[in-house]
Amino acid sequence: MIIDRIHIRGLRAHNDSTVTFDAGVNAIVGPNGVGKTNILEAIHMLCLSRSFLTSKDNVILRRGSSLMEIEGHFTKDAGGSQKVRLAFVPGEGKKLFVGGSPLERMTDLVGRFPVVVFSPDDQRLTAEGPEFRRRFMDNIISQSSPVYLDNLLRYRQVLKQRNELLHASRRARRTPDEMVLESLTRELVMPGAAIIADRMAFIEAFAKHLDDAHQKISEVAEKPGIAYAPFGRAGIPEADIDSEDGSFPKGGITIPNESREQRARREKRVFELYADQLERNRRHEIARGMTLYGPHRHELDLTLDGHPVRRFASQGQHRTYGMALKLAQYDYMQHRREERPLLLLDDVFDNLDPARIEAFLAILGSDAIGQSITTAARREIVHNHLDPSACRTIFVARGGEVLEDETSIEKVPPKATAPREEPASPLADSLTND
Amino acid sequence: MQFSSESVETLVEQFSRLPGIGRKTARRLAAFVLKQPKSDVVEMAEALIAVKEKVIFCSTCFNVADHDPCPVCLSDRRDGGVICVVEEASDLMAVERTGGFSGKYHVLGGAISPLDGIGPEDLKIKELIARVAAPGDGPVVREVILAVNPSVEGDTTAYYISQLLAPFEVQVTRLARGIPIGSDLEFTDEATLTRALEARVSV
Repeated sequence: MIIDRIHIRGLRAHNDSTVTFDAGVNAIVGPNGVGKTNILEAIHMLCLSRSFLTSKDNVILRRGSSLMEIEGHFTKDAGGSQKVRLAFVPGEGKKLFVGGSPLERMTDLVGRFPVVVFSPDDQRLTAEGPEFRRRFMDNIISQSSPVYLDNLLRYRQVLKQRNELLHASRRARRTPDEMVLESLTRELVMPGAAIIADRMAFIEAFAKHLDDAHQKISEVAEKPGIAYAPFGRAGIPEADIDSEDGSFPKGGITIPNESREQRARREKRVFELYADQLERNRRHEIARGMTLYGPHRHELDLTLDGHPVRRFASQGQHRTYGMALKLAQYDYMQHRREERPLLLLDDVFDNLDPARIEAFLAILGSDAIGQSITTAARREIVHNHLDPSACRTIFVARGGEVLEDETSIEKVPPKATAPREEPASPLADSLTND
Repeated sequence: MQFSSESVETLVEQFSRLPGIGRKTARRLAAFVLKQPKSDVVEMAEALIAVKEKVIFCSTCFNVADHDPCPVCLSDRRDGGVICVVEEASDLMAVERTGGFSGKYHVLGGAISPLDGIGPEDLKIKELIARVAAPGDGPVVREVILAVNPSVEGDTTAYYISQLLAPFEVQVTRLARGIPIGSDLEFTDEATLTRALEARVSV
């Protein structure tokens, strides 16, 4: 899938901007603070209904603006174009339209326009707390299987209710109503087991993609390892049910070569294990006044040659690992949906050494990646390593003004000029407005 | 825009407190009321007050009614052996509008939600169990249909009630989930479609 064109109104630096993209590598170039990243945010909002930097739409709204409007034209890999429009009015919320018809729920958008974001924050995936890794997993699986997001939202809502029951009882120094707790526990375990079973199946397939990706960008032969073991090291045995149980599966991701029946049995087994875990720890949870077990607490273990990355990796290893995770995400999603995700890269080159930039840009330019859109403070970062004719350059000047000049790149030798603000004229006249 | 009269502003304020009414619609409604003859407005105001003064709750099914027991509970033509359990009286009206249900009802008055401070004791659950346990002069209850919302709170309540009803010889059912009639498969969200696929029926 590619995005052909985007129209942005009332978003941070952009009062009214139109940007056109190529199917391959696109570089958004300009000084700091002019709104390069905002263009990526706008694209991301059309794909997943929110920015990758914040979930607060008010923050993204241009100061003094009463309306934010983004409209994008996408072309699917199988052909056929689709228009996505997002409108946000403070106090009234967001509205989304795909091909002219309104979406009832924002979440219905997720997965239709797959997107992968690289950002300097990716280092946190390996360096910081488990919530970053959970979010990473949840993002990929949600975009790969819509039911997953549904289960996740449901799980979160039950979790809130169950936590409130436990918390309120603890505050009032009484034990919670046993049957209400049992009912909420069951409601929690249903989507919870589906989430766990989906994550397990996902990791099983993802490990191979991570291995490949890490090999591509790391100079040294280190082997990445990834493990999700919510119930200890032992694998999940199949549940011994012969009769069909219609309640399973609730999730959608299967391990390679796994039949739907096997998947149902596996999820049922997870259900039993999870339910048992909560049952055994009920008094503990009542004493603590909160839900202590479940997918919201699970860790995704990352290793490098068998050593936990979080504790042992160097800065450089963290960086490589973070990029490998994202590259593997791209690869996984592309294989799963048979639709190439959009690749957004936010200032990832600025802190990389030349060898890594080289390796990475080679991947971007190769057939492995479809459309990519990257921001860079200096155009040389991209142009020194890529054939300029193979890359569309979009300049953003102060005030969020977007200047598109495909031709100037050939005229100006890539290394000749220092970063500069593009003159407003005559290039401004060539602004593509249709 | 603001109306120059304070009483009109107050009316706008009141309208905008209604569910689903924003300030813009509230202003339109207020402007409409301004244009109406006084008799019509009095009629409307009286209807509003009458709702609070005259309407009572049926002591059997807890539906809103003018008399106790309500006409549905009194009716001999309705099957007392089947009870349809709903969260709110408005849900009852929705089921009733289908014209396809000829049993009796039970209005819970909400759903279990610790976040809103609503526990089973705040709902008419005890009363429902009592109806099943001791039908009195009425027929034995054969089936309880849980027509609660497919939300976390509705489902929790449904499971809670089903556990309480387990000791009785009564069939407990839930509404099916699936694709709304008149909608387009293409535009049905994947989650609903997946559930509908799971609960498919033979033709």
